Amino acid sequence: MRKKFISGILGIVVALVLGAIIMLFQGYNPIETYGALFSYSLGGWYPFCTTLRNSVPLILTGFSASIAFASGPVNLGQPGQLLIGALFATVGGMYIHLPAVLEIPILIALALLGGALWSGAAALMHKWFSMDEFITTLMLNMIADLLTYWAISYPFFEKGANSPLTPQIDKAGWLPEFGEFNTNVLVMLLTFVVVWFIYSRLTAGYEWRLTGQNSIFARLGGCNIDKNYMAVMLITGALAGLAGGLVVMAGPHRFVKGLGANYAWDGVMVAMVANNGLFGTILYGLFFSTLQSGALGMELITAVPSEFIQVLQSVIVLVIVAGRGLLDIWMDKSMIKRKARERAA
Amino acid sequence: MNIFIGLINGMISGATPILLAALGGTFTYYAGIFNIAMEGMMLGGAFFAVLGSYYFHSWPMGILFAILGALFMALIFIVFSVILKTDEFITGIALNLFAVGATTYLLRQIFKVKGAFSDPGIIPIPKVDIPLIKDIPVVGSILSGQNLLVYVTFVVILITVYVVFKTRFGLRLRAAGYNAASLDTSGVRTSSVRIWSLVICGVLCGLAGAYLSLGYVNLFSENMSAGRGWISLAAVILVNGNPWGITLISLLFGFTDGLGLLLQQYLPNQFTSMVPYIATLISLYFYSIQKRKKTA
Repeated sequence: MRKKFISGILGIVVALVLGAIIMLFQGYNPIETYGALFSYSLGGWYPFCTTLRNSVPLILTGFSASIAFASGPVNLGQPGQLLIGALFATVGGMYIHLPAVLEIPILIALALLGGALWSGAAALMHKWFSMDEFITTLMLNMIADLLTYWAISYPFFEKGANSPLTPQIDKAGWLPEFGEFNTNVLVMLLTFVVVWFIYSRLTAGYEWRLTGQNSIFARLGGCNIDKNYMAVMLITGALAGLAGGLVVMAGPHRFVKGLGANYAWDGVMVAMVANNGLFGTILYGLFFSTLQSGALGMELITAVPSEFIQVLQSVIVLVIVAGRGLLDIWMDKSMIKRKARERAA
Repeated sequence: MNIFIGLINGMISGATPILLAALGGTFTYYAGIFNIAMEGMMLGGAFFAVLGSYYFHSWPMGILFAILGALFMALIFIVFSVILKTDEFITGIALNLFAVGATTYLLRQIFKVKGAFSDPGIIPIPKVDIPLIKDIPVVGSILSGQNLLVYVTFVVILITVYVVFKTRFGLRLRAAGYNAASLDTSGVRTSSVRIWSLVICGVLCGLAGAYLSLGYVNLFSENMSAGRGWISLAAVILVNGNPWGITLISLLFGFTDGLGLLLQQYLPNQFTSMVPYIATLISLYFYSIQKRKKTA
């Protein structure tokens, strides 16, 4: 636990320093830039709420990737599953008109269903034809991207709009806001509790983790590998779909082009730096969201383009993951040395 | 007849970037690297191709810059995955996202635009007319008049086949993937073989990127590699790295690309753009069925 903490903090510091060097190189003032970045994402209640709100899709897709990677299936289809989930929630919200108490759970269920369908397609291809989910999910991402683009350009297009987008969903489907605080955070926390419980307290979760670490051992130990594979794919797809649904219900309340942005890929990165841990995913998800939410403020004040954050994020991932490996090696070495010395004495 | 020639030419131009990147992937595949960074290398190459071509008003500089840009991406991959032994999968994903972020950032910093940059100052890679052959009906309009990089690609296929299967380096390359420990024991450093394979992959992905932004079209747009690197990866995996197999598969994908353009008269273009990805899924299906039969 302490080791993780050290490598995380060290990695972030090193990455920020690298970022500062790039900024100096381009003639920006790094201290001013980082100051603007963090004051626009954490300095006060309003920015903090924005950061929280934006962290939800990152964390949910991060959960999806974490659970998938830790349980075996290489589900890289979060971007596609997010889009399909968002589309399902949007279409539901356009045609279903019920009081909010019913509308919101129904839309959430639709988002879960959409994501699960899309990952289920990849899972079935694996089950029936043993097609590698690594490639199928990537291809399904592209297909989902084009499919949703078509859906919002033709069948669900809002007449008279200048760019492809759908009409707004029923007001009852909007997630309630308390001031600046959006309740999508509560949905995310609830999801976390459920996922954590399944993953760390139920037999199913134990079997998934076991399969992820050693699938042969798990099979010999009596786990139903195929069933677990299916369950993990469906659940991780549903999580990514939920992320998409919440983006629609909390944000623009409609499906606009480019809605998914980079959420899902960033979520995959969050899972990677968090080493597929659920708590780590929340922490790094918040951190990435801090960077992203502050990016616009940074651009406003110091003229550093907000795209810089995307570069910084991937640098952080590489540095932390590489640093973790090096730290492991170094700690092992020093332990061996210490043992050797003790034995010699 | 014109449709036929158009389809063939569309197939060739669609196949070229995929084929170049996939041939790069062949080297890393045989060297035992799970290289998923072709997408990022290609995108880096495409950006720097436009940069070089625009600033020096010459396409050879464009190609040179493309190669350097892709090599820079390859260098990052080498530093992390080969030298620091970071997980190849994570390195690859992070590198691809780094490529998207960095090219978008540089697009804004250098050209002051968002989305796409096109300018008459970007000199495209020329098409080559072969004398005599170009006068032959039908065949002439296919064999001649292609982009310079198409002919380069053909040469690269031959070189790849020769290097991988007929040279000492090729033997070591395959040994690095087949049994790294025995290669190390025989006195050849696996890591240096892997580094060279990544360098070659970088060069070829750079060419692929240059073809995208200076041949296929004459501009750079955000994320313009649009999954072609992933399709290349699929092509490499589908035929277990065999260069001739890769050529065939790439041509097939190129064909679906051209077919998609043809279908645009009947279907919304979102559906026609899906065709190459669906083709990838279908070929993966046949591959998996075949593989299953072999193991059963």
